[in-house]
Amino acid sequence: MNWDTWLPLLIVLSSLLVALVIFVLPEDRSKTRTTLNLGGAALKIVLVGIMVWGVFNGHHYETRLPLLPGLDLVLRADALSMLFVALSAGLWMLTTVYAVGYLEDSPHRSRFFGFFSLCVTATVGVALAGNLITFLLFYELLTLATYPLIVHRGTEAARKAGRTYLIYTLAGGALLLLATIWLYTLTGTLEFTARGFLSTLDSSHHPVLVIIFVLLITGLGVKAAIFPLHGWLPQAMVAPAPVSALLHAVAVVKAGAFGIIRVVYDVFGIEFSASLGVTLPLAIVAAVTIIYASMRALFQDDLKRRLAFSTVSQVSYIILGIAIVGPMATIGGMVHLVHQGVMKITLFFCAGNLAETLGIHKISEMNGVGRRMPWTMAAFTIGAFGMIGAPPLAGFISKWYLGLGALEAGQDWVIFVLAGSSLLNAGYFLPILYVSWFKEPAGSWPAERCFGRYETALALLAPPVITAILALTLGLLASAPFSPLEWARFITTLEYAP
Amino acid sequence: MNDVLLLDFLMTLLLLFVPGLPLLLAFPALHSRLPWFRYLALLPAVIAVAIPEAHSVELPWLLFGSELGIENSSRLLLAMSVFLWFWVMVLLPAARDRSEGRPEDKYSTVFFLLAMTGNFGAILAMDLVAFFVFSTLLGYSFYGLLVSGRKNKARRAGRVYLVLLILADLLLFEVLLITVLTTENLEFAAVHQSMAQSDSLTLYLALVVFAFAARAGIWPLHFWLPLAYRSTRPAVALLLGIPVVIGLLGIVRWLPLGEISSPELGLIIFGSGLVAMLFAIFAGLKMAQLKMLPAYAAILVTGLFFTAVGAGLADPVIWSHYGRFAYVFIASLGSGLAVLVFAISWLQVRRDYPARSAGYADDSNQWVERWSGLVVVWAGNTGFDTLPRWRVWWLAKMRHLWLLIRIWQRQMGVYERSLQRWGLAITLFLLLAITITFVMASAGLSSSI
Repeated sequence: MNWDTWLPLLIVLSSLLVALVIFVLPEDRSKTRTTLNLGGAALKIVLVGIMVWGVFNGHHYETRLPLLPGLDLVLRADALSMLFVALSAGLWMLTTVYAVGYLEDSPHRSRFFGFFSLCVTATVGVALAGNLITFLLFYELLTLATYPLIVHRGTEAARKAGRTYLIYTLAGGALLLLATIWLYTLTGTLEFTARGFLSTLDSSHHPVLVIIFVLLITGLGVKAAIFPLHGWLPQAMVAPAPVSALLHAVAVVKAGAFGIIRVVYDVFGIEFSASLGVTLPLAIVAAVTIIYASMRALFQDDLKRRLAFSTVSQVSYIILGIAIVGPMATIGGMVHLVHQGVMKITLFFCAGNLAETLGIHKISEMNGVGRRMPWTMAAFTIGAFGMIGAPPLAGFISKWYLGLGALEAGQDWVIFVLAGSSLLNAGYFLPILYVSWFKEPAGSWPAERCFGRYETALALLAPPVITAILALTLGLLASAPFSPLEWARFITTLEYAP
Repeated sequence: MNDVLLLDFLMTLLLLFVPGLPLLLAFPALHSRLPWFRYLALLPAVIAVAIPEAHSVELPWLLFGSELGIENSSRLLLAMSVFLWFWVMVLLPAARDRSEGRPEDKYSTVFFLLAMTGNFGAILAMDLVAFFVFSTLLGYSFYGLLVSGRKNKARRAGRVYLVLLILADLLLFEVLLITVLTTENLEFAAVHQSMAQSDSLTLYLALVVFAFAARAGIWPLHFWLPLAYRSTRPAVALLLGIPVVIGLLGIVRWLPLGEISSPELGLIIFGSGLVAMLFAIFAGLKMAQLKMLPAYAAILVTGLFFTAVGAGLADPVIWSHYGRFAYVFIASLGSGLAVLVFAISWLQVRRDYPARSAGYADDSNQWVERWSGLVVVWAGNTGFDTLPRWRVWWLAKMRHLWLLIRIWQRQMGVYERSLQRWGLAITLFLLLAITITFVMASAGLSSSI
């Protein structure tokens, strides 16, 4: 084995080993735990950076370990996986810093950070999976690693949310397993292949392939929170803010959306999917999810629930971009994978800050909070405007390419979906900004805590400020080398090259 | 050669700083530490106006690749904008204070600088995306300026403005998508050429006109303008011409005027411009408050502008004749609205001042009389003549004069309202005369062609 075969495995191990060590650390060794967490996150960023550079320059990184007869555990780096790995590695570092600040003095931190690291291990495994069986293994590991984080607080609501999450995701996983086995019996391979590996099958198999496609998308759609499989996500909001950030921006919903991209591009192939007639229904489901979830978000007073419905809506942009079929829409969908992550994690960090510092959980309690926490609310404002798609923020770039892709593919109806979604986004984000900045505070805050020099603890304040700056930079410098947009263009060039 | 390169570099830097410096200074951490930061924010724009050099800078790393530039028309608009922002700073004490105490003032400062960034950037933008980005920044910042006054009426004006702004943004976004499908080059000149031959031309024209009409408050999308003028603070009222100006500038920059002919759409726009002028006159005559006059003047003049755009769309030759005056017209509108707001504020201050000053004078008079009386009594008791005869005579005369002034002031107060009505009637009459002259001149020009 050489460096090129070790590197994918090292990236997975950089958080897995950290997780294993943290599990056995005594509760009071907080400095060691923090050092391990941050050290692992920093190491992962360095390794991912090396890998991104290598993939851009045509290096082939692959780890292949025997798993079952005829089936290997494959970790492989390609342009698409790099987009997701880079997002996970970058945001894991910030989420770890945030979680350290957030959970200071709370019990069961070793358990929390152990599963936290395991969660990121599973996410990176999902991203680097080179075949469907490896994908499935890490996908299920993600389910199991996230459950303890959702129920971490141990309240009745947390346990209920955890049960719901487990029922939804295990059912989805079962469908995914069924479809994977069915596919293997049909083809004898599960290797992800550029432009898919099913187009060579006899046309008599096409009806079966449609059923397998539906099973795969349904299984993945649970984590991607496609309507009507999204029910677990708003309930999971009882989890601590770093977990919400992880669920919504880095790991779970992204793993579902990423899985759908893999299935459409590297299992079926985009052209073959279109010829099977499955992309238009997928686009319609995504469009319904976008509008439905936005409308549900309008009527939520609980800030995190509103953000949860916003996630349901925004993640479907990725699926819509894929299902439109065309290079421009693909760029839009791919780049939104990163952009949504950065913007949404900003919003969840801010929601966590409001809850931790002032005890604010509801929008009706947010009157004048911009005066008390200007940095947090400035970051929230940038995240919210990004979600609306206001220029020059990251969300504008995503919507630009999605809109262009829709017109290019002759699917003009998508423009109305995008416009309607922008209006609804404005409808549920702008009132929050209005009450925060322009209304008088009602009196004392529900449960105010003082953190000294800054409006809140520095470990809580720095991450949302950094991600907000990132959301602005990703839009403003969209055409800079190695930007997510340029990387999405690179992927699309490979996928649609003649 | 080196001198040329250095000059080029300096001009590039200057162009970047015109919108860049106000944007940087918008950070509270930065501007709260700097004296005269508002004037500092204006400095690059002042220098850019003063240097009679056409220059442009390409920014391939910005968004999808953008370009900023300055030439004669943009210099004129930049000069007008600089004049307005400077005027606001000089005239309003609140704008001069560096450390305002109230949170809404702090927010106003941020919105003030962001709106300045949007205004300058939109003027310098050489392509559709840059214009869209800067004008959107201007729009949202202006919303902040409108509602940070904390009056219910101002908030209502802000809400109406925000709804129209979002609708306009959505339409302009669609316009951008249509344009990109036609041409990859989004510079104004290239877009004009490509769209002139595009199948989507009519849709493009209609969306652009509708969107910028909403942003500029052109009838029938004018709802926010009277509300804003009625309810907002004087500082913001002085600046209300800026979104109107940028809206009109958008129409001129985005439409391929003089290059295409669209008679049907031209006629509709021309007709709506005429109706807008009539509406402004009738609504203006019925208005309840003098401070709403600039709103109706704006609707009247933007209606006039619409008739010109409509005529230009109907017949490109007409636009090629008088289109070059569009920038002068827009710049004059911006300054004219500010002058009108200032004149009305001054009138109102003058109207209020006598009553207030009379009150102060009465108090001070009584105070003087009381203390001087005490001094006289004390002097009489002690045997000193502290008030020689000539001084007594002078004081009596002064008192008599003061009483006369107060009677005159009260009389002025009684006639103030009727005077205002005359002022309004004269203003509207003059604007109507200009309109009729313009329409007749246009008709004469088109018939001669």
